Amino acid sequence: MTRSLVSLLLFLLLSLSGTAPAFALSPTAPGDSISDYYELETIPLPPGLSAETGGVAFMPDGRLIACFHRGEVMTYNPQTKAWKLFAEGLHDPLGLLPVSNSEVLVMQRPELTRLRDTNADGQADHYETVTDGFGMSGNYHEFAFGPLKDKEGNLFISLNLASNGAGIREEVRGQLNELGRPGRMYSTVPYRGWVMKLTPDGKLHPYAMGFRSPNSLGFDKQGNLFVPDNQGDWLGTSKLYHVQEGKFYGHPSSLVWKPGFNIDPLTLPVSELAQMRTKAAVLFPQNIMANSPTQPLCDITEGKFGPFAGQMLIGEMNFPKIIRLMLEEVDGEIQGACVPFYQNAGLRKGNNRMVFAPDGSLWVGQTDHGWAGDKGIQRITWKGQTPMEILTMNLTPSGFDLTFTQPVDAATASDPKTYDFRRYYYEYHREYGSKQFDVQPIEVMKAQVSPDGKRVSLTLKEMKPGYIYEMTVNGVQATNKNPLINNFVCYTLNKLKK
Amino acid sequence: MIYLNPLLSFFLLLSIGLSPGALSFLAESPIEAPSLAPPAESQTKDTTIYIKAVGGLQYDMVRFKVAPGTNVTLVLENTDDMAHNLLITQPKARLEVVQAALTLGAKGPEMNYVPASPKVLWSIKVLNPGQKQTLTFTAPAQEGVYPYVCTYPGHGFIMYGAMHVTRKPLPPLADDPNIPPDRANDQAEAAAHQGHDSPAASPHPYELKLPAMYRTFMPDCSPAAIAVGLPGGLSYCWDAGTCRLRYAWKGGFVDNAAHWKGNGNALSNVVGEIYYRDQAGFPLRLGDPANVPTPKFKGYRLLDRYPQFEYSIDGVEIKELIKPLEGGTGLVREFQVEQVKEPLYFVVNRNDGVSYQASQGKWTEEILRIPAGKARNFTITMTETKGEATLTEMKGEAKR
Repeated sequence: MTRSLVSLLLFLLLSLSGTAPAFALSPTAPGDSISDYYELETIPLPPGLSAETGGVAFMPDGRLIACFHRGEVMTYNPQTKAWKLFAEGLHDPLGLLPVSNSEVLVMQRPELTRLRDTNADGQADHYETVTDGFGMSGNYHEFAFGPLKDKEGNLFISLNLASNGAGIREEVRGQLNELGRPGRMYSTVPYRGWVMKLTPDGKLHPYAMGFRSPNSLGFDKQGNLFVPDNQGDWLGTSKLYHVQEGKFYGHPSSLVWKPGFNIDPLTLPVSELAQMRTKAAVLFPQNIMANSPTQPLCDITEGKFGPFAGQMLIGEMNFPKIIRLMLEEVDGEIQGACVPFYQNAGLRKGNNRMVFAPDGSLWVGQTDHGWAGDKGIQRITWKGQTPMEILTMNLTPSGFDLTFTQPVDAATASDPKTYDFRRYYYEYHREYGSKQFDVQPIEVMKAQVSPDGKRVSLTLKEMKPGYIYEMTVNGVQATNKNPLINNFVCYTLNKLKK
Repeated sequence: MIYLNPLLSFFLLLSIGLSPGALSFLAESPIEAPSLAPPAESQTKDTTIYIKAVGGLQYDMVRFKVAPGTNVTLVLENTDDMAHNLLITQPKARLEVVQAALTLGAKGPEMNYVPASPKVLWSIKVLNPGQKQTLTFTAPAQEGVYPYVCTYPGHGFIMYGAMHVTRKPLPPLADDPNIPPDRANDQAEAAAHQGHDSPAASPHPYELKLPAMYRTFMPDCSPAAIAVGLPGGLSYCWDAGTCRLRYAWKGGFVDNAAHWKGNGNALSNVVGEIYYRDQAGFPLRLGDPANVPTPKFKGYRLLDRYPQFEYSIDGVEIKELIKPLEGGTGLVREFQVEQVKEPLYFVVNRNDGVSYQASQGKWTEEILRIPAGKARNFTITMTETKGEATLTEMKGEAKR
């Protein structure tokens, strides 16, 4: 409560002094605002709730179910606006998945738990351990995320590394492995830094490794699994990985739980680790796009939420921002771009969890959890008009094709000077974060508008893999004079288009 | 409610356009740019200040006092797992500097988020976790409150403190508007938690009813701990990692304030006096008292809010329900065991702090043997015992 009061005070101060909150650093064009197209509503919360939101989901009957830092699981009826307690006493629950109107799976620190109301009094009375087949050193940073269910009924969860900001407990759960202990973030008990797969037979399988702080999981429209990770040691900037079985994604500590791996992973040369790792599908430049990306969520609303059906959104902790992803497959691998979707305009920070309601509105659960952020739940509803946005950004052999949600005004869109590109990369190394290396402006040679005005083909002077291509669009508008709302995009170019 | 005062005054000051720091200067002339040279008459000593960046976007020290003109050595150590810097700004300039740092955008990292501004007096660059750096400067001659702040993006609104340059005594921490309101509040909370007699406000959006339980980090337990508070101020710690009762206390339940705050590193605190502490390890054995099983935790059911734990040993399902002892200090543990073909053993340690009474079986020293046919339901009653503990059967004689 105190933290949110402080935020309110800061907000008042900023409004009074006439300075716009400068949280979001990406430039936006004047004119239309995202709030002209989407309505933002703050959900009333029950008095006394510290709304550090760890999970939000909808039950089959249309009630929202949410879990909070102090262990409460509560339901909210959007019609009656009534909150009701469903379960309590959980240990920092950070994700949930309803099974029915009386049953929900919750991921808490020590285990994945099935909560069931067996006597129909509206509250869970059976707390069944679904899996606790992973270690706990007692280090605070060992958060646990998920579950995410695939079509075959498998459940995916993800497990944080421990932090050398604190030690481990005298008694731990699981086998202690000192080989995983060195380093800033470490994996000294089983499967820290892994994504795990629980098959319907109840067995928990190590699935993929190399994660640092994989704060929740999501599928794209095709069912590909995506997991974010946070800037820090071995992560020059924050990322989103396309996660596939058996692959290693870059943070070395978790390697100690790979069968047959019997050395301190930090003794391997960086070049060897770099060869082992699978690169991220999307990089979020630090302080520019995101500092702490959270849950990836596919827009499954088939148009109820606006023009972005089938694309993924991802939340962000440090800035009042939700990001949209424009992914594609290039040479057999997924890569693509990120662009702000909703920023400022009343949205709070700490956008940790998201879910689409049956009516197609987006519900956003917020937390600060000891870091930058806010508390509470907000709801974003599409008003029905199409904002002028870049709908897709696709790599071509010579540059990028941009597709817009509305036909562009050819006069501005065909001028190559309208598009500012620069490119850079972040170093893969043991240090915390990375500066941008080899920052170069890249000249746009040509901008060709398609006959229907919806696509602009850009020819760039140089296309080089291994770089982020950062684009700022200045002055493109629709034929109906609507300005482009989000004009700042970062494309992660891992592979060239042949 | 104690903390509303500083917050309220903070708010009022903001709404009339003054920074919190203005309080100290209301009776003084407007602040001028501080002269860096010590005043000739000052009798200052060199001083060293140690500040740590800690978890939860905080400096461990939220304020310090130096006399005008003091030669200050400031040592910043980053013990957090995120990067932090430290800037000392002119009075009232904290938010302006924080905003200026945010607008650096992509240039921020190379500039260490230190904006080029005359409002920034001194700075320590961004320190990665584990790094330490020293800054030396001469405190301004002009008395005043000089904020220090981390301008790493997202941090500056809550991660700051105050250097009081003054010869006067400082106000109590809770009344100091120059520190993060959260931190003044901590003091109030700490004070509120000292007395157990006054009913504490529920930390939840509902009244906290006993029995109640929290899965949390408890001392002297595996990290998968469960704290259970029973009516009558009898509480216990049950370990879901090893499937056993670890210890029990009387006089209160737990204080989770420290554990819930920030990143969750702190343990929950036992409120009350521990009278029982298990020293025998997992108590149940099947067939052979030397055969220590590896139990598997399965969860629990709430029966009138009392948790009934479910676990298995060697494939045999066990249920354990723990109730408070009536008319004394102790616990009654009701066991339900799936049909077994071998005798069941229950192993205790006489020095645990309680006497044991069993409803079934016979004790031999510290081992209770329950025949297979009688193991379906049995209770173990534990009563606080100072001095020599007894091991008894329900209708039998005490055995020493």
